[in-house]
Amino acid sequence: MSNKHLFQKFGFLRAPFGIGVGRYVCQLQRITIKFCKNHGCSLGIRSFLEHDLIDYAKQNPGVVVYVKPRRHRSPVLKAEYLNGETSWICIANFSRQDIIQWMELLKTQYHDGPALRLLKLWHTDFPSIQGPWTPFTFKNPPLNQIKFPDKKIGEALKFKPTATEELITLFEEQQEAEKFDQKIPVQKGVS
Amino acid sequence: MSLLRKGQQWGTFACVWHIFDATWQDPFKSAHLIKKYLIGLHKPIYHPLNQCGDHVIVINSKEIALRGDHWQKRVYFHHTGYHGGATWTLAWELHSKDPTMIVKKAIYSAMDGTLQRRFTMQRLHIFPDDNVPKEMLENVSNQIKQLRPVPNRLYEIPQEERDKIPRLIQYPSDYQLK
Repeated sequence: MSNKHLFQKFGFLRAPFGIGVGRYVCQLQRITIKFCKNHGCSLGIRSFLEHDLIDYAKQNPGVVVYVKPRRHRSPVLKAEYLNGETSWICIANFSRQDIIQWMELLKTQYHDGPALRLLKLWHTDFPSIQGPWTPFTFKNPPLNQIKFPDKKIGEALKFKPTATEELITLFEEQQEAEKFDQKIPVQKGVS
Repeated sequence: MSLLRKGQQWGTFACVWHIFDATWQDPFKSAHLIKKYLIGLHKPIYHPLNQCGDHVIVINSKEIALRGDHWQKRVYFHHTGYHGGATWTLAWELHSKDPTMIVKKAIYSAMDGTLQRRFTMQRLHIFPDDNVPKEMLENVSNQIKQLRPVPNRLYEIPQEERDKIPRLIQYPSDYQLK
């Protein structure tokens, strides 16, 4: 990306407002065809005007078509859209076939596409079903009730008992065993 | 941005206050732990350019424990800029003058020397004991776990429990205890 892109419009790809609601609304409102009657670079657009323009206008009653002859200037297509944007194409030396395709593109797009730098190639209004992360997600709910600083919460994790604790458990086991021995007296005189 | 989205944004970038009890902790090892919370490295949204650092309150900095003979051997250097202005202060000396300084310097030097370091340090609050101002303490919603278990002193164990500890050896009656 070079510096000239810094002033380019940027954003995410999005549908124009209300495009999917009810009937289809053609976003192209007006198309102005500027051309020269004599110059060679307008040859393609002149043949387009002769053969295809009437059909185009009939097929798209929602689009206002202006034809503007001007002397010795290169031919131009200027499209104006419902959202106020305009798209401008220089069609010097374009063939009739090319111009049909460009007219089709201008009719079907809803804004000047290449003028918008896409920030990302994908976009969603709902990036996460669970909702974005906050510092309080996955927190243990009892933490809300605790008055900080809490000695129990703050103490280091213990992975194994200390020597003292082990000694005390050994001692307790020994005492338990002694009690058990006392409860069940060993039978004497059995061979 | 809708009101709901705004709320989510505030939630995600909410600044959390943590508390850390420095009792019997090595300041130089806990510095690397506290640093992460101050910078915000513990968050999944971390990016060096976004503001996601948290506040950390360190209490009981008077009770820190240094390794080995670091109290005697660790030296803090300062130079006033004038001739003969160099001073070397031992760790125990510095600690007796300002019990928060060792922790502060440990955390400061644990962080990278970027332009952000001084601003990150402003989010650190160190107290020599556990007297934290009430308005600070009511912000706290998390406690950082200590790195080392605090040793249990014999005089802190109540007498009933002390009696239950098994006696391993019986000193002879004429044994001279120090």
